[in-house]
Amino acid sequence: MPGGIGVTRNEQDDSRRLQTAQALVIAGLILYVPANVLPVMTMTVVGDVEPLTVLGGVQELYDSGLWPIAGVVFLASIIVPFCKLACLSWLLLMHGSPLWRRQRGALRRIVHIVGSWSMVDVFLLSILAAVGQLGVLSSVQAEPGGLFFAAVLVCTLFASESYNSHMIWRTREGVAA
Amino acid sequence: MSAPSIPLEKTPGWISCPECEAACRDRALPRRAALRCVRCGVQVRKETGARSFQPAWALATAGLLLVALANANPVLTFDVAGNTQSNLMVTGVLGLFDQGYWPVAALVFFAGIAGPALHLAAVWYVAAACCLGRRWPALRRAAKFAEVMESWNLVPVYAVATVVAVVKLDMLGAVAWQQGALWVLALSLCSLLVVQFFDRDLVERCLEELA
Repeated sequence: MPGGIGVTRNEQDDSRRLQTAQALVIAGLILYVPANVLPVMTMTVVGDVEPLTVLGGVQELYDSGLWPIAGVVFLASIIVPFCKLACLSWLLLMHGSPLWRRQRGALRRIVHIVGSWSMVDVFLLSILAAVGQLGVLSSVQAEPGGLFFAAVLVCTLFASESYNSHMIWRTREGVAA
Repeated sequence: MSAPSIPLEKTPGWISCPECEAACRDRALPRRAALRCVRCGVQVRKETGARSFQPAWALATAGLLLVALANANPVLTFDVAGNTQSNLMVTGVLGLFDQGYWPVAALVFFAGIAGPALHLAAVWYVAAACCLGRRWPALRRAAKFAEVMESWNLVPVYAVATVVAVVKLDMLGAVAWQQGALWVLALSLCSLLVVQFFDRDLVERCLEELA
């Protein structure tokens, strides 16, 4: 949420917040690679074992003819995390610059609102993992990719929380006119 | 320009923009009109007229009840060759925990179960105090907490994930919606509405009156 109730801020606090956001975005960018390369889950259906990456899960839905659902998952699990990392990187690189401050503020708000929708894939993994309890006939086993994917989401969620909207309006000399 | 001893936004007739913290001159507004910041263009204050905390209180109460119902009833049942399993919201958390993925399990528990409950509880506390005009302890902290937890109330996202999960599970076996899904949907709508009615300006004004 932009702003806050009863919060007092100072420049030291802003500098700490900026460093935290930068560290989290860099960590998110690094973790984004294994999150998309490694399988998120392994689905076993009557002996047929199939490891699925995030993109593989979308592909499977698309191949089944469920393209609207595949579209939602593709948007939430691939486009949103990527755009969020790209937008946050751009916002942090532009920090202190007097250019496009209104647009940067609007972008930060959009990133904050839309960003949480990438949790769809983590919730999906949790619902499917519950099926793992049905044993040999049909099971879903979580894989390390899920852990990296969740880590990317946590990094981006805390980074956008850490980079406050008012920080966009601070120039290198202090508060913008 | 030399810095004044009292910030301009703290002086009567001036308010601080929640987005860029610029001092904006406050003025009387017609009903439903909004005051926008000249610098960043964000809405600084909206004249809400006779709006009170009663809708937020009622929705938060309903929401807390729905949290209990959504968590106590199975969301879906899955059947493969006669083996049937009922899935509660917490079953997925336990499934991930059992498979050794406790950080992901913790994230799902926090964003899908604890987050919505804490968000609604905080809104309930502040809205109830404002409605009843009681100076309950730590109200300002509870209001700030509600604001932070709003980002972690991800039940609407969970509801979408449930739809996707049903589609996926349908490929593996027989899957059926259960009563819990209805409660999850109702809780999602309730959470979205609470955010609309729990107005930050209204909270700020009410806390100042109670102080």
